[in-house]
Amino acid sequence: MMEVDVAVIGSGPAGLTAAIHAHKSGARQVLLLEREEELGGILKQCIHNGFGLEQFKQDYTGPEYAERLMKELEQTGVQCFLNTLVTDLSSDRVITALSPEHGALEIEAKSIVLAMGCRERTRPSIGIPGTRPAGILTAGVAQRFVNIDGYLPGKRVVILGSGDIGLIMARRLTLEGAKVIGVYEIMDYPGGLKRNVVQCLNDFDIPLYLSHTVTEIKGKERVEGVVISKVDSNLRPLPGSQQLIECDTLLLSVGLIPENELSKKAGIELSAATKGPVTAEIMETSVPGIFTCGNVSTVFDLVDYVAQTGATAGTFAARYASGSLSTDGRSVDIVAGENVRLLFPQRYGFQDDLVLFIRAAEPVEKPVTIEITPPGSKINRLYARPNEMLRVKIPKEKLAEVKQPIMVSIRER
Amino acid sequence: MAAEKKHFVCVVCPIGCEVDVLHDGSKIISMEGNKCEKSEEFVSQELIEPMRILTTTVRIQGARWLVIPVRTHKSVPKRLFPRIMKQLRHTELHAPVNMLDAVLRDVAGTGADIIATRTMPRE
Repeated sequence: MMEVDVAVIGSGPAGLTAAIHAHKSGARQVLLLEREEELGGILKQCIHNGFGLEQFKQDYTGPEYAERLMKELEQTGVQCFLNTLVTDLSSDRVITALSPEHGALEIEAKSIVLAMGCRERTRPSIGIPGTRPAGILTAGVAQRFVNIDGYLPGKRVVILGSGDIGLIMARRLTLEGAKVIGVYEIMDYPGGLKRNVVQCLNDFDIPLYLSHTVTEIKGKERVEGVVISKVDSNLRPLPGSQQLIECDTLLLSVGLIPENELSKKAGIELSAATKGPVTAEIMETSVPGIFTCGNVSTVFDLVDYVAQTGATAGTFAARYASGSLSTDGRSVDIVAGENVRLLFPQRYGFQDDLVLFIRAAEPVEKPVTIEITPPGSKINRLYARPNEMLRVKIPKEKLAEVKQPIMVSIRER
Repeated sequence: MAAEKKHFVCVVCPIGCEVDVLHDGSKIISMEGNKCEKSEEFVSQELIEPMRILTTTVRIQGARWLVIPVRTHKSVPKRLFPRIMKQLRHTELHAPVNMLDAVLRDVAGTGADIIATRTMPRE
C-alpha cells in the first residue's frame, strides 16, 4: 500500500490549484491522480478566452490558464500519475486506482481532495421523443471533437439549451464553417452568461429563441431534422406551435451535474440542491479528511471560483494531513431562504471566513439585498440572475457567536 | 449622416448593461442605460470597428493531437474573422510548438500574429 499525505483526484483547474496549495501549506507528499493522458481537465478543450480575469487579471484561453497552473505545479515536486483511473474510494481514505504504468494501486492518504468535475446532462436526462439517429451530441463532446480531435461533427446544427458551452460552441462551429440555425432555450431567460450570449450569438447573428424546446427528433441513420415547439409558462409545449427544422446535428447544452460516483462509494453525504457533497467552509465533506472543490461540489460559472475552492480545499487538506486542523465538531447548517435555488457551502464549522456562493431561483433585474441571518449581514447587489452565481464573504469574527442555522435570502431592495 | 439609435450590451464587465445609444455613424451623441463610463469607451469602439480576439485551432504534424489551439495575439476587426479563418485552413504547423510561439505573422494583413495557446511536444 502506497502512503501519501494528500491525494488529489482530478487535475482540472480545481485539482491543480488544490495540489499546488496543499504543497504550499506544508504537505510533503502530495499525489495528483489524473484519468487522462495529460493534466488540465476540461480546460484543454476550452480554447476560447475569458479565463482568469479575476484570479490573474489576465484574459487567458483555457489551455493557457491550465499551462500556467501546470508550470506552477512543476515547481512543487507534487507527484502526478497520468492515465490513472480511480475506481474506488473508502471512508477511511483508501483509494483504489488502475494505471497501465503503475498497475493496480492502493493508496492510503491522510487526506483526500475530490476534484472530479462534472458531467453533461444527456438526451435521456431530458427525455426527447423521436428516433435515435447519429448526430445527437452534448455540447462538450462536440467541443472535444472540434478543438482536440480536429473533426467538425456536423454542417447544419440546432442547439438545444443555452448553457455556456452551447453558446461557445455556436460560435466555434460557425467559425469552422457550419451553419448554426439557432439556439433554443426552454426557460424564458438564457442559461449562460450574458457576455456569452452577446459575444457568441449576437456577434455572429445566431438567433436565440427563449421559451422554445425540441419536441421530436427525426431521422433514421442520421439526424434529418428536429421539431421545435414553443412552451407555455409551465414549460409545456404549446399545441400548434410545432415547426420542423432540417438539420444534421443536434447539440445539447442542457446542464451539468457534479460527478460523484466516488463520493457515494465513500459514503459522503450529498446535497439534493447541488448534487455535490454537503460541504463546510473549509471544503470538508461529511467524511472527515475528505475535501471537495470545483465542479464536483456544485457547478460554478467561472474558473476563478473553481480555483478559489481548490485553494481552500488544498490548504485545509494539508492542515488535516499534518494534524494541525483543530475542530471541536461544532457546526451550523446554511439554508436557502427566499429566492435561493442553491448554496455552497451548506455548513459552517467556525474555522475560516465564510465565502458563500449563491444561485438565485428567479431573475431579479433590480437592486437586491442578500440577507444572511444570523449574523444579520445585508449585502447589496445590482441584480440577481440564476445564470450568474452571487458570491459573498462573511468574516469569521462576525460568525463566532452564531448558534442557529444560517438563513440566506435574496430580496428586492 | 443623420442621428441613429442603436442598442448595445456592454461586455466590459459581467453586469452587461443594456445601453441605448444615439450616434452619428461613428460617434456617440448620447447614451443611456450604462452604469459606468467604461461602456462609453466600449460603444465608441463598437461604432467605429468591433474588435475581438479570435481563438481557433490549426493543424499540426508530429504531435499527439491533430490540431493545436491558437489565437490572435491582440484584438482584430471582427469583420475579418472569415478571412483569417480561411488563411488558417491552409496553415499547418510542425511539433514541437511552445505556448505563445508566434506561428503565423501578420495574419490576413491585420498586423496581428497567430500565437499557440498551448505547448505541444514532438511525439
